[in-house]
Amino acid sequence: MDSLTEFFTSLQLDYGYLIRPLIVGTLVSVVCSVVGCFIVLRRMSFLADAIAHSMLAGVIGGYLLMKVFYQQDSNLTAMLIGAILSGILTVAMVGFVTKFSRVKQDTAIGIMYTGIFAFSAFFISLESVSQYIQIDIYHFIIGDIMAVDNSELWLLAIVASIVLPVVILFYRPLQLTTFDPIMAAAIGIPVMAVEYLLTACTSLVVVSGVQIAGVILVVALIITPAATAYLLIDRLDRMIITSAIVGVLCFWFGFAIAVFLGTEPGATIVVIMTGVFLSSLVLAPKYGLLADWVRKSNTVPQEMMEDVLGCVLRAKGKSVPVTEVLKHIKKPAPRVRKSIVMLERQGLLDVDNDKVLLTDDGRFQAKRLVRAHRLWETYLDRTGTTPKEKIHDTAHRLEHLSDEKTVEYLDDKLGHPVTDPHGSIIPNDSELIVGKDLLLSVLRSGNQATVVRTDGDAAPLDLKVGQRITMGPRSKDGRIWQVITLDGKKLSLTHNAADAVVVRLIAKS
Amino acid sequence: MIVNANKSIEVPAIKVQHLTVSYGPVPALLDVSVEIPQGKLVGIIGPNGSGKSTLMKSMLGFIKPDVGTVEIFGTDVTQVKGRVAYVPQRGSVDWDFPITVREVAAMGRYSYRRWWQDLKKEDLRLADEALEKVRMSDFRDRQIGQLSGGQQQRVFMARALAQDAEILLLDEPFAGVDAATERAILDVLQETKEAGKTVVVVHHDLGTAAEYFNLIILLKQRLFAFGTPFQVLNPKLLTDVYEGNLKVFAELAKQSSDDTGDGTGDEVNDG
Repeated sequence: MDSLTEFFTSLQLDYGYLIRPLIVGTLVSVVCSVVGCFIVLRRMSFLADAIAHSMLAGVIGGYLLMKVFYQQDSNLTAMLIGAILSGILTVAMVGFVTKFSRVKQDTAIGIMYTGIFAFSAFFISLESVSQYIQIDIYHFIIGDIMAVDNSELWLLAIVASIVLPVVILFYRPLQLTTFDPIMAAAIGIPVMAVEYLLTACTSLVVVSGVQIAGVILVVALIITPAATAYLLIDRLDRMIITSAIVGVLCFWFGFAIAVFLGTEPGATIVVIMTGVFLSSLVLAPKYGLLADWVRKSNTVPQEMMEDVLGCVLRAKGKSVPVTEVLKHIKKPAPRVRKSIVMLERQGLLDVDNDKVLLTDDGRFQAKRLVRAHRLWETYLDRTGTTPKEKIHDTAHRLEHLSDEKTVEYLDDKLGHPVTDPHGSIIPNDSELIVGKDLLLSVLRSGNQATVVRTDGDAAPLDLKVGQRITMGPRSKDGRIWQVITLDGKKLSLTHNAADAVVVRLIAKS
Repeated sequence: MIVNANKSIEVPAIKVQHLTVSYGPVPALLDVSVEIPQGKLVGIIGPNGSGKSTLMKSMLGFIKPDVGTVEIFGTDVTQVKGRVAYVPQRGSVDWDFPITVREVAAMGRYSYRRWWQDLKKEDLRLADEALEKVRMSDFRDRQIGQLSGGQQQRVFMARALAQDAEILLLDEPFAGVDAATERAILDVLQETKEAGKTVVVVHHDLGTAAEYFNLIILLKQRLFAFGTPFQVLNPKLLTDVYEGNLKVFAELAKQSSDDTGDGTGDEVNDG
């Protein structure tokens, strides 16, 4: 028992000085990270940063005023009022420059706050001023949280008891004006007043926070926990709570490390927070980079699946061992295997005993691809856009542009070629469907059809509706279509004439 | 005294008088006066940058005009609360905002509660009903960014329905949605109109304007015409308004005067 009491007494003697900074720091963390959610969502982060820096001018003003006229050192109230005034001045000047010049807001903020901050630093380093004032710019920036006194504790308690109820009471107006200010105006929410309210809360939080925790810690506490929560959470109310929890936990953890290592607490906490942000950037379940990467690698690109189909088609109806497919497609094996699984799921491949076979649907799709590939090869060859030795590779990339309209366009433009530049037949099974109305120009030698319609002036006069025809082989490099009628008459048609006749396919050969 | 008795019928849903709005040296709207009667489906059309959205924002009380007034059912727009519902243009919404489909729909009920009050169970029920109407119930708990374009548009339709306002304003609801969604939105608009409400739509497709709307406001900084599609979509007026696009419009104007039905004119937008 005694030893326990002793333990706590010694704990209080050794570490009692930590309690006040810990309480004050926790309060700062909560208010900053709650208000920060709205600042991040409204893209005002840079403005918070600006207020934090430029308030140095106000602090100095308040300090000097009390010192010179009332001989008081470090009057907190005067410095606070000065800081708030300089915050308002910064916001006003940024607004002024943005409105009346072509300089945009981010630039205006950058100019104004660095200017005001630098002027303050310049001013207090003047010999005639520095005799009056002891403001330590290093601590202004990095903070001196260990040195907080009771008046600052009270200050923070008051600020927290103003800001937190405001956020809770005005939650819906704040949410709606942030998300959709036009609707907010339409249902009678005073949009500008809500914005001023938020700016006032921000200034209050920043000004009181910087007094205690320094510029860097306050700005980081406003932006970083909120941004972390933004990556993790999909709802504003939960984002605010998460942000507060992240802020407080980072503060405690960083504070403990700082005490343990004897480092600067403000800097340590910011380092921890940044670390937490970066790890959630990578690990966040929905919006993290890792989740993104997993999602991407889970979806097999269409192209790879098409390559697999093409590879299996080349086996001409025999089943192919998976290892063979892997050998032909020079892509990472697990992904090729995954695309085989996907193709099986889509009913295009049968997988049995590590061997793959095209289904009827699969064969149809594969032929469609071969058709696209050979048409592209013909196109590349005829247009002369690509050197001969590169035609195959280029066509291999282009064959994935195989939507119906593209292929139809190519086919027509090339005069419905029968063979590609290497002499291989360009399959058109996907076009030739028995019983379907087609242009005569797409028919191949041996096809039988009846004439349904003849369109336009280009239509040959000696073909009558209802007449039955058989296609002969093309002549003159495929530029002339030969039609054989039932009574054995041979007709020659140009591309235009063949395009002008609509027929119904009866039989393919 | 007869005038008094008929007041509720005669008072226009939206009355815009001598409205001039400017953002810079050139006015976005110049001396626009128009009276939109109750219970009509009205289209605002005009080329890009013709002040269509500005007119709409003025009707919502979001923009303070340089000169002029906007009255909603005879009351100045700044005094009117929640009688006008609004569906924003898709491009102007922050789709990354941490908010779910249901929460957006529930926003329609905000105007029924004081700002410090919580939403009631009934409000959530009405929000759910509105989502049901636009067939978005299955996506209730999704974050709004994880929807397709048409679905996103329907969520905001649900919000407007939940608000149950007498006037519905939509900013380019048909931009970039598929044909099915376009049909679905149009059906909801027709239903809303038949329920006696006034619907105003900013629209850029001249080809469909005649088919969709009872009345058309033709706008380019100033009011060029206001009337039935037959009155407004005449070649003379259209070439006046769309001067930069004469070639495209010679064709279109011809179509719309020949047959006030279906034209095709997606090209209208990109002038």
